Amino acid sequence: MELQQSQPQPRYWQSLDELKGTPEVLEAKRHEFQKGVTDGFDVKQMSGISRRRFLAAMGASAAFALASCKSYLDQGEVVPYNEQPEELIVGRPNYYASVIRTSHSATPVLVKTREGRPVMISGNPEHPFSRGGISSHAQARIMGLYDPERLKEPMQQGAPTTWTEVDGVLRKALSGLAGEGKQGLVLTHCLMSPSAKKSLDQLVKKYPQLTVHSYTHLNHSHRDAAWKKSYGQDAFPALHWDKADVILALEADFLGVEGDAEAERLFATRRDIMNEAVKFNRLYVAEGNLSITGMSADYRLRLRPDAQYAFVMALAQALGEAGFSLPGALSAKAAAFNLKQFNQTYGLAESTLKHLVADLVKAKGKALIYAGDRLSESVHLAVNALNEALGADALYDFTHPALHQHPLSNPAELQQAVAEMQTGKVGLVIHWGTNPSYHLAAMGYAEALKKVPLSVMLSTHANETSADCTYTLPVHHDLEAWGDYETHSGLCALQQPVVAPLHKSRQAEGLFLTWAASADAAYSETLYLDFLRYNWQESVYRQSGSLLDFQNYWRTALHDGFVNYRKSGASKPAYRAAALNDLVESKAGDGYVLSLHPAYATLDGEFADHGWLQEIPHPVSKVVWDNYAAVSVATARELGVKTDELIQLDVEGKTLTLPVLEQPGMADKVIAVELGYGRTQAGTIGSQVGFDANPLIRFDSATPMIAAVNATKASGKHRLVTTQLHHAFDVPREQDLHFARQIVNEGNYGDYLKDPHSIEMHVHKIPNITKPIEYKGIKWSMAIDMNKCTGCSACIMACNVENNIPVVGPEQVDKGREMHWIRLDRYYSGTPEEPKVSLQIMLCQHCDNAPCEVVCPVNASNHSDDGLNQMAYNRCVGTRYCSNNCHYKVRRFNFFNYRDEFAKAYYSQELAQLQHNPEVTVRSRGVMEKCTFCVQRIMWARQEAIREKRDLKGTDVTVACQEVCPSGAIIFGDANDKDSAVYKYQDHATSYKVLEALNAAPSVTYVTKLRNTHEKV
Amino acid sequence: MQVANRPSSQADGTPDFSVEPSVVLKNPSFHDITEVISKPIESKATLKWYIALAFSMMLLTLELVCWGLSFYYGDGLWGNNIPVAWAFPIVNFVFWIGIGHAGTLISAILFLFRQKWRNGIARFAEGMTIFAVMTAGLFPLFHTGRQWLPLYLVPYPNKHAVWVNFLSPLVWDVFAVSTYFTVSLFFWYTGLIPDFATLRDRTLGKDLVSRIRKTVYSVLSLGWRFSNRHWRHYERVYLILAGVSTPLVLSVHTIVSFDFAVSGLLGWHTTIFPPYFVAGAIFSGFAMVVTVLVFIRYIFDMQHIITVDILEKMNKIILLTGTLVGYAYGMEFFIAWYSGNAVEQFVFINRAFGPYAWAYWIMISCNVISPQMFWFRKLRRSVPVMFVTSIFVNIGMWFERYVITVTSLARDYLPSSWGWYNPTLVDFGLLLGSFGMFFTLTLLFVKFMPVVSIAEVKGVMDNARPSHHGGDH
Repeated sequence: MELQQSQPQPRYWQSLDELKGTPEVLEAKRHEFQKGVTDGFDVKQMSGISRRRFLAAMGASAAFALASCKSYLDQGEVVPYNEQPEELIVGRPNYYASVIRTSHSATPVLVKTREGRPVMISGNPEHPFSRGGISSHAQARIMGLYDPERLKEPMQQGAPTTWTEVDGVLRKALSGLAGEGKQGLVLTHCLMSPSAKKSLDQLVKKYPQLTVHSYTHLNHSHRDAAWKKSYGQDAFPALHWDKADVILALEADFLGVEGDAEAERLFATRRDIMNEAVKFNRLYVAEGNLSITGMSADYRLRLRPDAQYAFVMALAQALGEAGFSLPGALSAKAAAFNLKQFNQTYGLAESTLKHLVADLVKAKGKALIYAGDRLSESVHLAVNALNEALGADALYDFTHPALHQHPLSNPAELQQAVAEMQTGKVGLVIHWGTNPSYHLAAMGYAEALKKVPLSVMLSTHANETSADCTYTLPVHHDLEAWGDYETHSGLCALQQPVVAPLHKSRQAEGLFLTWAASADAAYSETLYLDFLRYNWQESVYRQSGSLLDFQNYWRTALHDGFVNYRKSGASKPAYRAAALNDLVESKAGDGYVLSLHPAYATLDGEFADHGWLQEIPHPVSKVVWDNYAAVSVATARELGVKTDELIQLDVEGKTLTLPVLEQPGMADKVIAVELGYGRTQAGTIGSQVGFDANPLIRFDSATPMIAAVNATKASGKHRLVTTQLHHAFDVPREQDLHFARQIVNEGNYGDYLKDPHSIEMHVHKIPNITKPIEYKGIKWSMAIDMNKCTGCSACIMACNVENNIPVVGPEQVDKGREMHWIRLDRYYSGTPEEPKVSLQIMLCQHCDNAPCEVVCPVNASNHSDDGLNQMAYNRCVGTRYCSNNCHYKVRRFNFFNYRDEFAKAYYSQELAQLQHNPEVTVRSRGVMEKCTFCVQRIMWARQEAIREKRDLKGTDVTVACQEVCPSGAIIFGDANDKDSAVYKYQDHATSYKVLEALNAAPSVTYVTKLRNTHEKV
Repeated sequence: MQVANRPSSQADGTPDFSVEPSVVLKNPSFHDITEVISKPIESKATLKWYIALAFSMMLLTLELVCWGLSFYYGDGLWGNNIPVAWAFPIVNFVFWIGIGHAGTLISAILFLFRQKWRNGIARFAEGMTIFAVMTAGLFPLFHTGRQWLPLYLVPYPNKHAVWVNFLSPLVWDVFAVSTYFTVSLFFWYTGLIPDFATLRDRTLGKDLVSRIRKTVYSVLSLGWRFSNRHWRHYERVYLILAGVSTPLVLSVHTIVSFDFAVSGLLGWHTTIFPPYFVAGAIFSGFAMVVTVLVFIRYIFDMQHIITVDILEKMNKIILLTGTLVGYAYGMEFFIAWYSGNAVEQFVFINRAFGPYAWAYWIMISCNVISPQMFWFRKLRRSVPVMFVTSIFVNIGMWFERYVITVTSLARDYLPSSWGWYNPTLVDFGLLLGSFGMFFTLTLLFVKFMPVVSIAEVKGVMDNARPSHHGGDH
């Protein structure tokens, strides 16, 4: 205060005279407001316009001028809430637990909504299985909600109709079935909801002529059938992947398309460099096609899938020799096999096989053999026997075994149903969510459907089947629907609507209940909710033995998104060696073998119309917007084709022509093709993308997805678009650059245990002539643990959703203009036959000495005090110099206004725009963009901290990619906080920075990938 | 042996190298010179000129259309991508800026060195500089993603309270190119003043066209009366401007080379770039001057003013700078090897033997091998040979920029982000169109302004006297 007083008061003056203080001025000032000073004014002589009027006129003309300036920002109107919902505060997100389902899975999720609008789906962190991990598919569902081509109202053969009419027609048709002596069919995908099952049961009860069939391409039928034979139980136990020291995966992509977030998470716990209490596991993979799991393998055996039976038997024989007691039936059958002989036939590395047998012997009780879904029941039977011998009991979890609400129909049953449709015995087919005309093309489903007088499709989107259906009825999207899902017994997840239905859709189960009820019963939105609650009260609530009253129990379940009502499970049932009598020997052919896989991007085609998924590069080949025939280099040479050239596949007269991709690591003579492409009725986005391999499925075989095939070169070419150039194995100077340039560091786990510093990347210390910038307070940093990363690409999807990344389409990707802020780099080393795959998540490294910042002429690229490399979109003029100077080439440029450019502005439509995250600017054309470290989340956390009057901590922020990563490979936080995880990673002996020698001082630390092999890397 | 233009005092006809050769042949009078140079301006345009103008304006229209499309739809119409974020437009920019270099070099540096032979070609070379810089300037302006915001590159007080980033070579570029353009324009115009006055005085007709012409020339000649004082001031100003321009010749392309050299991208990050770029710019500029002069001297009957001697001297400079450029190519490789930096070594080997090897070898054969012909006097003085060679040099120099820009970007540090660049039709349209703009301006120039400096040529004639007044007509 004293200081202020001692300062001289400023003096204000109006004229120099005043400043000087002449007496005239002082006198005049005194009379400023004196009465009568204006008496001398003659108003008539003054201008007619008063000051007031002048200002009014000025104001009006300015207003008119402004009104004529139409700004593009002014479009639309902002309407405030008339009555604000109680739970909603404008600008604050609300989170709801719910479930996202696909044709084969149900993922517990947390949905973020803003002003009542869902904007992001992430995993439910409380769920004991996923723990917040989520696949890219479940995340991409948000795109389906706002898809402009979603079904909006009931349609009768292309013409709009009303629900009343539909109800009437269907009731009549259903009750007419009995009179006509015809059957009715309900076809759906995997039924995981107990209440949905009950609603269908009610329908069947009312109309007994109905038969329910469920199927999906992504099923565990063979595994489950073999389990039932071996152990007498339906339910396959959940697996303790984290307790297995040695895992042998036979044609099993359990970290990829055949697995789930839980498998990835548990597997990663055994690759945790920070947890010294656990040792790394060792993963052996024997497969024909290079999969995500194969890329993660410590040892990989290239083996054609039809030789898996022989391999298992040879392995059994070897294990028998090693002293394991095998069931008699197995030893007898295995006696004809010999690992050495097998090895000679298939040219596998002898040392690897030796290690495999030795490791399995050594890890007895903690070794697991896991056979893939597509292998025959016999292989699974033999594997069960081997696991029994290996004593894998401890690895099974019977608390929450896998559960099917309705047994999946086997191919024979489906074939039978199709035959009945063909003969006209079927009077009505109700499809629910599935697409059999496409999936069951090999059975001739589409033709059979045409013979059915009345067919109905309940779906969110039109598809190949709905094109031939009498009625196409829109049902609620996952985010609009109620539901419960029990994929694992005792663990039931609740699905609740997070947004009111956007269109005139209905809850499918509600429809079943309506049709099953008396003729005058009308559909209502609460119909199924009441039914669901009643079911829960009767079953889940009862079984849980909860002390809460039901109302509270229900509320808690809704809040948590799931209930875990069983705490302990049964013990392992006894093994029945008799199951081995069903072993059917299968001999591997000499010719080409076709291996069909569900696609990483589209699964069985369900997600073909989700542009984001189509644009996520294939985890292995980096191909986007397409499928192809993957073959080994030798096989390609044998067929006389190169990448992009066409081959014709012929399976028992059914042909398919598609382009070839020379995929390193493929077993010779194997032709791997992904299903889920070549859809014809998947809207603007999904139609005519890739090639439909469904007709090649051999439903009559023990292995429908694996079949002998004739392959011949066809004329023509089809360009496969990739985000990474095809690796040139034949150019010596381009080999192993990722090691030579210090981009990727890898080491051997054994070496690491002996001396962690022995695998350190050696980087010359660079003397600085300038003082490095010190970050006081928080320094945002990231660590990426490449030991945990499998390459599942869920992070890319999370980034897409969080940061409003546009879809650009294959033509633009082909030009090198994909917009992903985070990418998954894949490097090969070694030979094209036995490549070693190195993955690397690459995103903006937020360099302290960022090269992009110095060259930006307009300061659009600059640095924050907490270590962020920032992008000021409004300032960016788009010189692209920053991208040129970026060592990591992680910057992305809007060469077009991509939302307007792609697919005739498909994603510019009003509905699609609702999907955008309101926290993140939608970038216009001509602007550079890149990873921001989710700056909007940082700002949110900071705002919360300020509101709560506390310091912001590094752990307050979870970035989008980190949030969804099932294996926890991405760590984000404050590098200045010595207790933070990110600091510990940065400080770890095995951590390194990419291209560290360039002295850009990146903020992203990578953890050396350790391979748990016997040999040195 | 009789060598044209060199007086031979010996009986056997061997040239006398002790006597300075005449710059202008056939010993014309001052009046003849004025007549010859003014003729194209004062006579009706020929059909050939119209055809040429129509053709080049067609190309100019193509450029305008391509710019328009790019402006409307975005840079996506080009082949640029990530990693090759700079491609054709930047290549064209550097190419045209390089072309512009001959003008200032000839008019300023050679003037300061009292190279009399420059007087016959200086005017045209200066004009070419102006047009080349204009053509070049459009590229960086429209190359940005948001072409409506070029003002952000200029440091002016603004409501955003954001200054430009003076660390960025692109900002230096803005200053370098605009300064160069301004100074070149002044220099050119200063030289034109006495000639405009000559033309003004020669325009005597009373018809409307003549009157307009007279008015325009009167205004442009700024009241020039060929007085001694005028000449004295003129010579002073000209000398000062020559002095000011001289460092610019070196600075502009040095700074353009900084766009590359200052970045961390290997293949760009080279200290040899400034001299190498300047040599290359002079190389290409001279080649372009030769290409066009060969036509002009033929079409306008100026063989005796723009003599083979002059062209030969230009060819010598082409040979010199071409060899300098060749040395730079070699030195880049040497340094890449000597640095021990494996990435840099890869970049250069990849340049010569990688997927863009074709472009590299076009560059080498055009820039290094083709000018070697000029070691031979006969070839050096042969108009067809020099014409073809100069075209080759221009092709080669365009490819040099292409090789530097594209190959370095296409394969940099992370092999995962390696890419490929395919130019689009719009890219080619802009490249062709830029020639349209350049030649349209050139054609208008040769029709409406003296393509050779009337006053300066007179100053270097055999019968030039120090007392000469210039205003001879």
